[in-house]
Amino acid sequence: MDGKNANPTILNASDLPTRRQAQQKKVTSPLTCGLVPAYAQDPFVGNNVEFSDPDESQDDSVVEPIDEQEIYDLIATISDPEHPLTLGELAVVQLQHIRVTDDPSEIISNVLVELTPTINHCSLATVIGLGVRVRLEQALPPRFRLDVRIREGTHATGQQVNKQLNDKERVASALENETLMGVVGKMLETCK
Amino acid sequence: MRLQKVTSLPPQAERVWQVAIHPTLPLVATASSDKTARVISLQTYNSLSTIEGGHKRSIRSVAWKPGLTGESVLCTGSFDATIGIWRRYEHDLDAGNGQGGDEEEEEWRFALVLDGHESEVKSVAWSAGGNFLATCSRDKTVWIWEEIDEDNFETLEVMQEHTQDVKCVTWHPEEVLLASSSYDNTIRLYREGSEDWVCCSLLEGHIATVWTVEFEKPSSPRYREEWGSRLASCSDDLSIKVWTRISRSGSAAEAKKAPPSILRGESIEENWAETSTLPQVHTRAVYKISWSSKSGRIVSCGSDGRIVVYEEISTVDTEMVESDERKPPKTEWKVVAEVGGAHGVFEVNCVQWSKRWDKDTKGENDEVIVSCGDDGVVSIWELANT
Repeated sequence: MDGKNANPTILNASDLPTRRQAQQKKVTSPLTCGLVPAYAQDPFVGNNVEFSDPDESQDDSVVEPIDEQEIYDLIATISDPEHPLTLGELAVVQLQHIRVTDDPSEIISNVLVELTPTINHCSLATVIGLGVRVRLEQALPPRFRLDVRIREGTHATGQQVNKQLNDKERVASALENETLMGVVGKMLETCK
Repeated sequence: MRLQKVTSLPPQAERVWQVAIHPTLPLVATASSDKTARVISLQTYNSLSTIEGGHKRSIRSVAWKPGLTGESVLCTGSFDATIGIWRRYEHDLDAGNGQGGDEEEEEWRFALVLDGHESEVKSVAWSAGGNFLATCSRDKTVWIWEEIDEDNFETLEVMQEHTQDVKCVTWHPEEVLLASSSYDNTIRLYREGSEDWVCCSLLEGHIATVWTVEFEKPSSPRYREEWGSRLASCSDDLSIKVWTRISRSGSAAEAKKAPPSILRGESIEENWAETSTLPQVHTRAVYKISWSSKSGRIVSCGSDGRIVVYEEISTVDTEMVESDERKPPKTEWKVVAEVGGAHGVFEVNCVQWSKRWDKDTKGENDEVIVSCGDDGVVSIWELANT
């Protein structure tokens, strides 16, 4: 039992939930959108007109709430340290095990990510958890407090791993560890 | 009461983990992830000097050596597993001549490095008289050092009582009694026995990492001589507790009277009980508490970005005290002031009461709270009555 899963269950990438490829039209309120065409001001046009920002990704002026799908898209593309697959494909990261509390009236927002290791004695659970933490810390605004946990009952030493992953000093120290950050850096190479 | 910000200093490059108040001079030192310690004036709130070049990784903890005149000695504990000792002459900071020292930046001299810990040093603390230095680390050990000559430190003891990282060490204000708190959820107390230092008490009650422990000062208005200094602790379990000594045995009780040789082999034990739990306000880990020596109030801070001030209001069940003389009174605390988002959206890592030294100081007992956070900022707060 070396803590490696030689034959993990793999999900088809096209079956994974994502907002990335989906061609869903974004419904943006004209009041918060930067560029509003003149006809939008016309009260007779009705409310069902959709505006697609031609340069959507460049528009940082609109503060959008962050939801579970967005968190999923940030971390599902992280590579597993021992398989040539992503955490999404291995179902280590699952959309229904992400919870976001992003209330604009509160100063602090919370993200809870529960990970499902491929086998219950996975020796790399801590490294995977750290990778998820690093990815989210880099991508999310600082108002987010992150709780990265191993889903209950899915890992032999889940509680120990959880304590480590959520100890501020341990995490800060791990981020200064070049060897460890080298491994994490490799895992994050596949993130877009 | 209301907590209002007096000022904030320009941010350091990275997270500030801790602030430490000089025992006699109007100075505060910071410990930062940018590998430096900064010294700031508590009169002008200007940065006076930056101590750098001694550590390869984050500085996690700083402590001023007490009992010195004409010179300041600062100890730094780092994630690089080493401890630095720094010295600086203090000429012009005598009372009434505060501005003189600010102008001319004196050099801090790197005196020596103490190594021995196997991993990150989390906390450093000088004993009340400055005779002993205690350090602790993720390597589960607590070390006690003694300065036998200038810049010559000897390791007196290495104690591995905790089963996990040791997060904090702190000394009793009068007795030679050391407390440590840990990732293993416990607090331990240590005394010097006849031959070596021993663990004399284990305090269990927290259900997650105990981030900080701090003793009550005898000058505090609620201090009671018959019980001595109490101990406050704060934890990842969101609670803040106060502990009181119930009994002591062996040489701990007789330390002042009997010579150590008689007591060889006798166990040293102390019993401490939890006598208060402060109202829970924090919604995430409570990282630091500070117990005012002037007002007896406790201030706390944590991951949720709040700073909260508590005051002890009453003693519960006084009747029981009469029936059982050795039972310490349980006391109740209330929240008297609270501020959210004290460092914006960032976590607040440390709060510390300090005597107030600035131009708006009202009397000898005026105090400020010094805080620091993940934003790299050091802020000063006053407790306003309105």
